[in-house]
Amino acid sequence: MITTDRKSSRSAYRNLWKWAVIAPPLLFFALVAGTAMGETSIPMDVVLKVLANKIFGAAYPVDRIDAGIIWSYRLARAVVAACCGAGLALSGVVLQALLRNSLADPYLLGISAGASTGAVAVAIIGLGGGLISMSAGAFVGALLAFAFVAMLASLAGGGTGLRAAGVIVLAGIAGSQLFNALTAFLIAKSANAEQARGIMFWLMGNLSGVRWADTITVVPAALFGLLVCIFNIRALDAFTFGSDSAASLGIAVKRVQFGLIAVAALMTAAMVSITGSIGFVGLVIPHAMRLVVGTRHRALLPASALAGAIFLIMADIIARIVIPGQVLPIGVVTALVGAPVFALILIGRRAAV
Amino acid sequence: MILRCENLGWRVRRKEIVSNASLTLNEGEMLGLIGPNGSGKSTLLRMLAGVRYPSTGRVYLGGTPMPELRQREIAQTLALVEQHADTEERITVREAVELGRTPFLSVLQPWSQDDEAIVVDAIAAVDLHGFENRNWHTLSGGERQRVQIARALAQQPQVLLLDEPTNHLDIKHQLAILQLVKELPITKVVALHDLNQAMICDRICVMHAGRIEALGVPAEILTETRLMNTFGVCGHFMTDPFDGSPVIRFHRAHRMD
Repeated sequence: MITTDRKSSRSAYRNLWKWAVIAPPLLFFALVAGTAMGETSIPMDVVLKVLANKIFGAAYPVDRIDAGIIWSYRLARAVVAACCGAGLALSGVVLQALLRNSLADPYLLGISAGASTGAVAVAIIGLGGGLISMSAGAFVGALLAFAFVAMLASLAGGGTGLRAAGVIVLAGIAGSQLFNALTAFLIAKSANAEQARGIMFWLMGNLSGVRWADTITVVPAALFGLLVCIFNIRALDAFTFGSDSAASLGIAVKRVQFGLIAVAALMTAAMVSITGSIGFVGLVIPHAMRLVVGTRHRALLPASALAGAIFLIMADIIARIVIPGQVLPIGVVTALVGAPVFALILIGRRAAV
Repeated sequence: MILRCENLGWRVRRKEIVSNASLTLNEGEMLGLIGPNGSGKSTLLRMLAGVRYPSTGRVYLGGTPMPELRQREIAQTLALVEQHADTEERITVREAVELGRTPFLSVLQPWSQDDEAIVVDAIAAVDLHGFENRNWHTLSGGERQRVQIARALAQQPQVLLLDEPTNHLDIKHQLAILQLVKELPITKVVALHDLNQAMICDRICVMHAGRIEALGVPAEILTETRLMNTFGVCGHFMTDPFDGSPVIRFHRAHRMD
């Protein structure tokens, strides 16, 4: 009995490398599905032929319009969706572990709202005189929002106890409201009606108009975030019993908290600057994955990144096909799917504990 | 001289929680930290553990000032068992104990046979064999406390600090935990509320209003005068007819008439 136990525990550490085998085919399949499905369905074999042509220089005869839709439009979109999903899910895992709060999520803590404000400030009122990008604006906004929320939470009674868990969510609500109001103010003050409508649509989370150029922001952000998280797997685990416990396990708590929260904010900011704020991914995906692979981060991190990527590709497919002739903001889809799932998790968790 | 502190102080918003605490631990001893609620026991323990940074004074671990050590180096020598350790996460007993190996494993270093053996030993030491795959949330208070101690033992510490490890436990588990701690061949500091239980310590440190008021062997330290002055209770010493050890019987100091 002891020997089997030992084996299972050791292999749990090896599982990290198994993800390198499991993830690419699943991700590839999701990307192909995301590319094939849409208002006009394109057969899988055409998708694969176009990919082969573009990537390996094969010379399959394909319709040029199909090729254009597949390569320039849908694939870029699916790749951005995958990166956003992975990044938001990872942000959720990190924030939940470090703040020891199962409700922590870049959207609920106001980080997304702050990123939106920053992006809008750059895009509409031209903050920075064209020298800073929307992503940079979003990043600064995200950090400001998180700093505001963290300060509010610590003034209202910090610590790591149960009360602090409630406090930071309330602070997050206050932060979200404040930054959403700032965003609305900026739009009302400086944007014309046409701009305002576009921005509001963008704020709800939108992948329309995403092109390959946008992958320059989101792919490195997602990969960098994933790498940093993987390097901190043991540190994240060490926060299981709180930050004092983590310190007693040899974790430089302040440095890890600051560094990882900055990375979570960075990922969120990069994603929001391209897609607008997409809610519930960072909340629902980690919770669902905990039920599947457990709470240890060596399994939870890769599983959440993968599931987040696939979830957002699927959500984008739904957003494109659910209303014929019209594309729904993807944030609407994730919220419509995510909110009930989250409610189920809350109820189930209560029954379990 | 494995652990020592000098003039340790900690204040929050100008309120002194601990002040001027100096203490030197003898190697292998069990030091009991006692005092009324709010006397600064937990805070002192946390500063000794290196998880709170003192406002004044210094802690020395193995002769080196703690600020000069990395958190990881401290955790390889010293372990802390907290009072209210709890988690929302569904974690198994084994996973919780495995956390104790954190200070010894670098970022991507694989889990080794040694780590595994240490974890198995730690679980056995607290008598939790067979509980390895149990979920934390299904454990009783005593079992959770033992998991926390096993986690600390998996750090293979030379110094173990425990904050009221017998709190909220039934009497059987209180005695079991104390005996377990007592028999560990390392240096131990235990914050305790039950003064009769504190009698099994090698030395006792009495805290009152953030200051160390007395330090020495239990028989010398726990006097009727001290019980009255520090704890505000009358205490009478009696002898256990069973093994001849001293027992304190407490009475309220003031009548409410």
